[in-house]
Amino acid sequence: MNRCAGRRLDLGVLSPETYVATDRALLECREQGLAPDTLLFLEFARPGALVGFHQSISQEIQVAYCRGHGIPVQRRVTGGGALYVDDGVFGWELYLDRAALGRADLGDVAKLLCTLAAEGLRELGVPACYRPRNDIEVDGRKICGTGGVYDGDALLYHGSLLLDFDVERMLDVLRIPAQKWRDKAIVAARERVTSLRSLLGTRPTAKAVSDALARAFSRGLHTDFAPGVLSQAEQAWRERTRLEIASDDWIYQHDRPETETPVLEGLYRCAGGLLRTALSVDARTGRIRQIWFTGDFFVHPKRLVADLEAALRDVAVADVRLAIERFFGQYPVEMLLLSREDFCRAVEDTLAPIIGGTRVAVPGVGA
Amino acid sequence: MAVVRGCNIPEDLSYNVENNVWARREADGTVTVGLTAYACSLAGEIVAYTPKKISKEVAKDKSCATVESGKWVGPVKIPVTGEVTQTNEAVSAKPGLINKDPYGEGWIVRIKPNDWNGDSVSLKTGQDALQAFEAKMQSEGFKGCH
Repeated sequence: MNRCAGRRLDLGVLSPETYVATDRALLECREQGLAPDTLLFLEFARPGALVGFHQSISQEIQVAYCRGHGIPVQRRVTGGGALYVDDGVFGWELYLDRAALGRADLGDVAKLLCTLAAEGLRELGVPACYRPRNDIEVDGRKICGTGGVYDGDALLYHGSLLLDFDVERMLDVLRIPAQKWRDKAIVAARERVTSLRSLLGTRPTAKAVSDALARAFSRGLHTDFAPGVLSQAEQAWRERTRLEIASDDWIYQHDRPETETPVLEGLYRCAGGLLRTALSVDARTGRIRQIWFTGDFFVHPKRLVADLEAALRDVAVADVRLAIERFFGQYPVEMLLLSREDFCRAVEDTLAPIIGGTRVAVPGVGA
Repeated sequence: MAVVRGCNIPEDLSYNVENNVWARREADGTVTVGLTAYACSLAGEIVAYTPKKISKEVAKDKSCATVESGKWVGPVKIPVTGEVTQTNEAVSAKPGLINKDPYGEGWIVRIKPNDWNGDSVSLKTGQDALQAFEAKMQSEGFKGCH
């Protein structure tokens, strides 16, 4: 297969504002044919919070904490969830021609690019793999989240890879369902998220990480990403974009009240132990935004919990039982005195305040 | 309704095939705009929808709304120039309506067109549209709407 010519940009440390302005400028330049296929790496020096394009800052971020600690908040051009960034987060981005990827389905594109990123991480010695729909994980723990945006034939896909993980600060900055159980939330977050430092015992250099990712993307995309710099046109575009990106009209667009996304918590006791459920719901769309299970129960493999949580994200409240049953129908699992019915009831009990407690109570079961 | 690789493509609508959008001129002269079933299949379930504000003028092939699916954000490019007169409240509440009923309840915006007769000349309809979608699906390696 013929190899394509691409460009590699190592931009070093960017502020959240410059990061978003760069994304926007490069995507627009790529769409207009003013930029080549590009693999870009970047870092963050200071803490920041980045919401997905369609997200509401009030619903995703602890705004008062961020204001009080001088933590900037920005809105990405890409989709997906809110991110806490600091010097432990390493960003990779691809600007590509959508048609040249040979797959139009956006889910397939995400799978391809995440799989290649995971290959790169495996070169560093961690058994990373793609987790549908948009994550890269190691043994059930997320190490890199991703998201994308397209415009015409141009696409931008980015990943936020954890070199290190400041769990306490992340819980301070993001609005997460299990927040009220601070000590349990820290343990729960560490069970769900990992970093290269945690896995390797030492934090790899940005160069080692970017070179490994570049080799994997270069192989998989049949593209030689030669070191380059931002063109004058791209720099000018970025400066023009920066004014808009820095404005409240950009940052606080789509803002909706926190009350539209209630956080619900439930305790469910059964023969198999104690299931603690924390979830947030989008009351406008009737969908689960995030859900966490913690407590005292046995499942094997342990990663079942993270996989179930991922499977329930964005599921309509009305379909949650169906989604849990479908998940267990396809997932080989061993549980000690615990059943899929217990997970259904734990979630339904937690959701009861907003669905009117339609479940028929079974004596002796449930909290 | 005609079907191309399992995707419904109504023959009476006008399409910008490249941008995967349709337009329908209504009796009152306004134009309703939406995404095709093919676009919806490529995107997967749409979970967010942000239309341009009412009374905003949008130029042909520019974005009249953004949608998000599976962590991908993308524009809906309007097939004719016009001023947005209506956005879809039902879709704001349930963006998945776009997938469920892309040519009905899942419409994206309604506009007052500046020059429907001029702008719509480049849009495809009927058999021409079906052939153009088949060619697009072929070139993109599309297996079919589920």
